[in-house]
Amino acid sequence: MTPARREIETLLLTSFAAVPLYATNAVGVLPLVMFHAVMAGIILRVARGKSPELIPAPVMRVVALLYIGFYVVDAAFISRNAIAASTHLVLFIATYQPIESARTRNYAQRLLTTALIFVASIATSTHITILLFVIAFAFLMFRQLMYVSHIETVAALGHEYAEPPSSRAATFYLAGTACIAAVLFPVVPRVRNPMMQGIGGSLTNASTGLSDTIDFNHERSSTPDPSVVARVWISADAAPFFTPIRLRGAIYDRFSRNQWLQSAGRFRELRSRDGVYRIARPVGLQRVMTVQQHLMSNSRVYLPTGAYAVSGLPALFEGPQSEALTTMPLRRATDMVTLDVSVARDIEPLRSVEPHVVNYPRNDEVTALARQIVGPSSDPLEQAGKIEQYLSTKFRYVADPSAIGHPMTVDRFLLRDHVGHCEYFAAGMVALLSALDVPARIAGGFYGGRFNPLTGYFVIRREDAHAWVEVWNGTRWTTFDPTPATLRPGTDQTGLLRAYVSALGESVTYYWDRYVLTYGLGDQVAMAANAITAVRDAMRSVKVRMSDQMTRLRSPSTVAFILVILAAGALAISVAGRRRPVFDLLASHLRRFGINVGPAMTMEEALAELRANHPYDARELEPLIAMYEAERFSPHPDPRRRKTIRRRLAELKA
Amino acid sequence: MKAPPFAFDGVVRLTKVGTSYVLFTVVIGFAALNTGNNALYIGLTFLLGCLLLSGIASKGGLKHLRVEFSAIGQPWVGRPAHGMLRLHNDSRIWNVRDVVICGGELEPVLVPIVSRRSAIEVPVTLHFDHRGIVTVNRLDFYTRYPFGFFLKKRRIRIHGEVIVYPRVLAGERERRRMEATAEGEIATNRIGIGGEVHSFREYVRGDSLRHVAWKKSASLGRWIIKQTEAEAAKSVHVVLDPYKPLGVSDEAFEEIVSAAATYIYYSMERGLEVILSLPRVSLHSKADDATPLFRALALVEPAYEPFAIPYERNAVVFSVGRHDDARTA
Repeated sequence: MTPARREIETLLLTSFAAVPLYATNAVGVLPLVMFHAVMAGIILRVARGKSPELIPAPVMRVVALLYIGFYVVDAAFISRNAIAASTHLVLFIATYQPIESARTRNYAQRLLTTALIFVASIATSTHITILLFVIAFAFLMFRQLMYVSHIETVAALGHEYAEPPSSRAATFYLAGTACIAAVLFPVVPRVRNPMMQGIGGSLTNASTGLSDTIDFNHERSSTPDPSVVARVWISADAAPFFTPIRLRGAIYDRFSRNQWLQSAGRFRELRSRDGVYRIARPVGLQRVMTVQQHLMSNSRVYLPTGAYAVSGLPALFEGPQSEALTTMPLRRATDMVTLDVSVARDIEPLRSVEPHVVNYPRNDEVTALARQIVGPSSDPLEQAGKIEQYLSTKFRYVADPSAIGHPMTVDRFLLRDHVGHCEYFAAGMVALLSALDVPARIAGGFYGGRFNPLTGYFVIRREDAHAWVEVWNGTRWTTFDPTPATLRPGTDQTGLLRAYVSALGESVTYYWDRYVLTYGLGDQVAMAANAITAVRDAMRSVKVRMSDQMTRLRSPSTVAFILVILAAGALAISVAGRRRPVFDLLASHLRRFGINVGPAMTMEEALAELRANHPYDARELEPLIAMYEAERFSPHPDPRRRKTIRRRLAELKA
Repeated sequence: MKAPPFAFDGVVRLTKVGTSYVLFTVVIGFAALNTGNNALYIGLTFLLGCLLLSGIASKGGLKHLRVEFSAIGQPWVGRPAHGMLRLHNDSRIWNVRDVVICGGELEPVLVPIVSRRSAIEVPVTLHFDHRGIVTVNRLDFYTRYPFGFFLKKRRIRIHGEVIVYPRVLAGERERRRMEATAEGEIATNRIGIGGEVHSFREYVRGDSLRHVAWKKSASLGRWIIKQTEAEAAKSVHVVLDPYKPLGVSDEAFEEIVSAAATYIYYSMERGLEVILSLPRVSLHSKADDATPLFRALALVEPAYEPFAIPYERNAVVFSVGRHDDARTA
């Protein structure tokens, strides 16, 4: 590889190291763009055969001196964050060093700077694709390190030697390193400093897309976001009764200036019994679900509708909004809570409540419409059912609120446009019920989810955010959903292959989240405990098996069988010994004296060697070898001679 | 031979790159422990894996190297001798790259790559600083491979003896001074290549039939060989007196040996026959080959008692102790 190509590869590696920073938002886009622009300029210069001095080195040195002061300003006033300011500094150094390399050999330092950028990139990344980045970076870095190793060695010798190709070697070492890293990762101790908040960036899917208010003063919008909010496990016998899933997190029961708001509630800690928090009274069929959930920044807990008890949380609070449940914030944004939730077909409040009709301003036209829809019916649930059916069949649903093209009031939705998304449908139904003096409210949360056949859970994503309606039937809140069922989130039809690919991707993400991102001390303790248990079980199993075997061995039939086997073995050895050629027996005997009788050696020669080293033994063996020679070359073989040789050899051996 | 700057006693050294790497790993480890960030743990385990593999690779690579000299050219004191090292990599796993081989007399040489389960020939240069039997009993192998974190060393024992010829003085002055004198084609009264008959002797095995004195053999009834007399113009007689009186330095003695070697060397270069006389032995050069003479000069040891070496009037005597009665070059 030519020096220019090598230099370009080094520059590309440095540039590549900073690519994930665009996605992680650890630093602003402007410094990153500036960094890559400068690096691209240097690369172009080197590619054209020029020196990397995009900016003259003396000027760059002055800039470097000035940057020391700028760093303080950056940390204190611009970034207001020492880590971001330090990352800026490292990026600056990474652009300075290639320019300086025209005068100073700083190859190793440049790689160190590149490694620092790499650390900044991975420290703030949580997506699984970072693994591919780590592998690609390691491959390129290994090539660079091999080059450094080569030039350091050659420099010490003072001769020029061609660098051997390094791609295959880098691949080999990358595979080895990855294997060792995979073994080390679970066992490196996770004893973290409890006082340190950490520099990890937030997961892109760490918060939900629900807003605190539903504000119809402005044009509503939503963007598809496949980030996972929660995973829900439901047993097969419960699924027909509790799907599609509704994770409820917000109740909008107040109207003000064309905004739907959550009422403030009393903030209080709920008491648990054996770790179980009871939040409602169950009615009807009951089952248990498991919910794994990323927490929002305000630590709100989203529970399935019908949830009456929950466990798996260190603490549970009611508030600060009405009927909202919150828990302790997690130490890391990447962490998830896993809850065991008891659900029932219907639930009633633990304490008596006095539901009120939402203060939606009365409008004659809306009231007339409501009366027209419900007709003579006076039962709140019957009225709600009719309105639900009316809206879901007579109104047009648009998935993207921005498609409406203008801000719209609920009245206009009901009376003129008849087009909207789930929030309008829910708000419209509440407005119609309020006109009829029926207590109703908007419930916000997530709906449906997609079943993953590979892992057996439902995946709820941010794009599954939904709004529906709860109507008071006199004793409890009952769920209604005026949005057309086939158009609700998570109900789009995809092909089987696409569904499986999606499920596979989700599974990988799940294992990544569970066993990499959120892997911690608790997992290590569990792993150690499992290992100890496994060893103990194995030892116990071996002990039991050995005991069984010993019992069996003690039986007379087994002892007799073993004796027969031993006798047969001894007989076979004896017969084999008798049938061995005499030459082999003599050779075997001579081997004891260190004489190896090869195929080209006669017994006479072996005897001569034995005479030289062991004269006494040679005298004993001499007549046997003479007998062997006589037998070997006699035209009349005599079995008695062979027998005599065998017997005498056996005596000598004894 | 001057040792390379990275030579050291011991087995392994952490290089500057390695030190930086270890410090970097410690910092990342500290950050990971402090923050509990598993992305940093991924980086940390990769760093540790790389460090571990680097150590295993450098050790495993050198461990399975075997080496032997496959050839060494004529070794002279003060002149580079070219040789060939045969390097075997018996490892089933590790290719070895960027290995520097050095030893006492060996000029450091870099072997770019020795693939696993293969052997290569490496041209080497040796430098000897004294004549005689030189034992090459070890070679040091150094490598920074794969990543330059460690400088790993392995000393390999080999068993090799080389007879190093004395120094031949180069330079025009020495050459002129050492040129053999042409004294005309006169008989030297020594047996050698020439036209005049010197003497007769009994045939012994190995004698050429061309030298049989047929008439004499016929008259005596047995094989008689005719010995001719060497011609002075085509031959020189060199005498090296190894006597080293007390007070004469070893360097002075070595200078005399070098002078004799130089004289023989240039005489051979001019196509003369050379006879070297040492105590109890006289050696003749054969055709263009004076190897036995140089070998004898390489092995000659100083004597601490005077010898009586018979030499002729025209002999060139090299001595450190008899300036009064000998002509020295």
